[in-house]
Amino acid sequence: MPSPSTPSPAPVAVSARSLSKTYWFHEKEPGLSGAFRALVRGRKKFVPAVQGIDFQLHAGERVGFIGPNGAGKTTTLKMLSGILCPTAGTIDVLGHVPHRREKEFLKKIAFVAGQRNRLFWDLPAEEYFHFCRVVYEIPDERYAAAKKRLVEMADIGDILTVPQRKLSAGQRKRCELVAALLHDPRVIFLDEPTNALDVLNARKLREFIRAKARDGLHGIILTSHNMAEIGEVCDRLVIIHGGRIVFNGDLASLYERFLPRKQIRVLFDGPWTRDALAQLGSLLRTDAHEAVLEVEAPAAARAAALICSRFSIRDITITEMPLERIIESIYAQPHR
Amino acid sequence: MKRYARLFWLLCRASLMRQMAYRPHFFLMVCGKVIRMVLLLFFFQAVFLRIDRLGRWTFDQVLLLFATFHLVDYLISITFQRNLSYRLPELIQSGNLDSRLGLPVDPLFMASLENIDLMDFISFIPCLGLLVYALHRLGFAFTWLQALLYCLLIVNAVVFLFAVVLIIATISFWTTRSAGLARVFDDLTQVGRYPLDIFEGFWKFFFIYVLPLALISQLPSQALLGSLSPGFLLYAVTCSSLLAGIAVRFWKTGLNNYSSTSS
Repeated sequence: MPSPSTPSPAPVAVSARSLSKTYWFHEKEPGLSGAFRALVRGRKKFVPAVQGIDFQLHAGERVGFIGPNGAGKTTTLKMLSGILCPTAGTIDVLGHVPHRREKEFLKKIAFVAGQRNRLFWDLPAEEYFHFCRVVYEIPDERYAAAKKRLVEMADIGDILTVPQRKLSAGQRKRCELVAALLHDPRVIFLDEPTNALDVLNARKLREFIRAKARDGLHGIILTSHNMAEIGEVCDRLVIIHGGRIVFNGDLASLYERFLPRKQIRVLFDGPWTRDALAQLGSLLRTDAHEAVLEVEAPAAARAAALICSRFSIRDITITEMPLERIIESIYAQPHR
Repeated sequence: MKRYARLFWLLCRASLMRQMAYRPHFFLMVCGKVIRMVLLLFFFQAVFLRIDRLGRWTFDQVLLLFATFHLVDYLISITFQRNLSYRLPELIQSGNLDSRLGLPVDPLFMASLENIDLMDFISFIPCLGLLVYALHRLGFAFTWLQALLYCLLIVNAVVFLFAVVLIIATISFWTTRSAGLARVFDDLTQVGRYPLDIFEGFWKFFFIYVLPLALISQLPSQALLGSLSPGFLLYAVTCSSLLAGIAVRFWKTGLNNYSSTSS
C-alpha cells in the first residue's frame, strides 16, 4: 500500500508484451521477365517488422516513438490501435484486446494517420464532424462544447465549410485531429502528425497536441522522425530499430546512457598550454585562443572549474552533443 | 440498429451531395442504362418474333425474369457491389482502410455501404415499370403467398450475391487486387437474365448447383408464376444463408490478414 503522501502512479492505459508482427510478400525480380517468373512461381518472403516489443503507457503520459524508416513504429502503433492483428504477443489497451475492435474500445481511442483520411474527402469538415458525432454517439451538448473548444484550439473556424480536398495539408491535418478528438478518447495514437507540414503548421499542430495533453487524462503515443518534435511534445522517448525497442526512457536518461561525455569550449584571454588541458580530457580542436575538449559527463563541471582557476579565460561553455548524433549512432548499429 | 440506420442515411446524404457535383456524368449514366435495357428488350422481341417460347418460358414470362434480374442487379449496384468489388481493393491497396477500421462501426458495414448512390434510384424506376408491365401482360395472376415468396427470394438473391461479391472482394486482402475476378463475376451473372432452360446437361447443372445463378431471377420468377417446388425454395434459402455465413467468416479472416501500408 502506498503511503498517503505518495501519489499513486497513474493507471496503465496501454500494455504490450512480446509483441511481434511479420509481413509476407511475393518476391519479384526486376524487369518484365522477373514479373512473369513471379506470376508463375512467386516466392514468399517473410519480413519481421516488429520483434518482441514490451511497452507500457500510463494515463496522462505522452510517449514519442522514433526510429528510421521501416523500424516498426507505425506497425506497432497500428497493432496497439487494433488496425493490425499481431503475429504474436499480447496487447491490453484500457482493458481491451485491440484487434477484436470492440465498439467500446474504439470509442475510447483515436488513431490519426499522417496522410490517410480520405473519408468524406469531397465534403466540408463540418459534415465529417457530424458523421463522427453519430458514429461515436456523442450527446448533442457534449458535441457542441467539444467542437467549439477543439475548433478554437486548432484554429480552423474559418475553413469548416470548405471541401476537404480544397484545404492545404496543414489545414486538413488539423481538421482530422479535431474529428479524431471530438469523442474525447482516452488514448490517442498519432502517426507522424506533422509529416509534410511547413514550420508554421507543424508548430500549430504541436501546440495543439501539447494543449490536449495538459489535462493529464489523455495518453498520447506519437511517431515522428523529428527529434525536436519528440523533445517538445513528449515525456518519454521510445527508440525502435529493426523492430525492437533499443531505448525506452526520458531524454535525460538517453543522454546518460548513450552520451556519457560532454564538450567544453574555452576562449582564452591569456597564455595556456595544450599539455595542461590534455590532462583534463581529450582535445578535439585547438587554435591560438580557443580549445574544445571532450570529458566524461560527471567530470565536466569539475574540469570547467579547474580550467577557470588555472587560466585566464574570456568565455567557457559546456554542451551536450546534439541529440541527432546519438540517434544516428543508434541507427548505425547493426540490429539483427 | 438505430445508429446504423442513421449512419446509412448520413452515407446516402454524403453520396448524394457528392453526386450533385457531377450532374452531367449522372444523367449520361442513367441514359446509358436505359438505352441498354431498351436494346435488350428489342433483342428479346426480335427473338420471340421467330419462336414462341424460350425453353418452357413464354415471352411474357421471360419479360418477368428479365425485369426481376435487373431489379436485383440495381439493388446490388446501388448498395454494396461497387463498394466491395472496386472500392474495397483500392482501400486495401492504398492503406486507406485504416481510417475505416479505427471507427466504432462494423467494418463490413463501412466497406459495403460507404458510397450509396441514391440518385441511382432514378434509373431503378424504368426497371420497376418493366416489372409492372410484365405482370400486367401476365394478367397479375398470382396469389399473395406467391408475391410474398417472390419478395423473399429477391432478398435471398441479394444475400446470395452479397456473399459471392464479399468472398471475391475479401481475396484482395491477400492479393491486393481482385477487380479482375469481380469483373468476371459481373459478366457471369448476366447469364441470370435468361431462363436456364436454354442450357443443357452440364451447364444447366452448373448454373443451378455449382454457381447457382438460378437464384438471382429464375427462382423468384418461378415463385411468382407458381411453378417453384418447395424443395427448390428450401435449397435457395439454405444455399444463400450458408454462403453468407462462409463469406462473413472469410471476411473476418481477411481482416486479420490486413497488412495496411507503411506511412
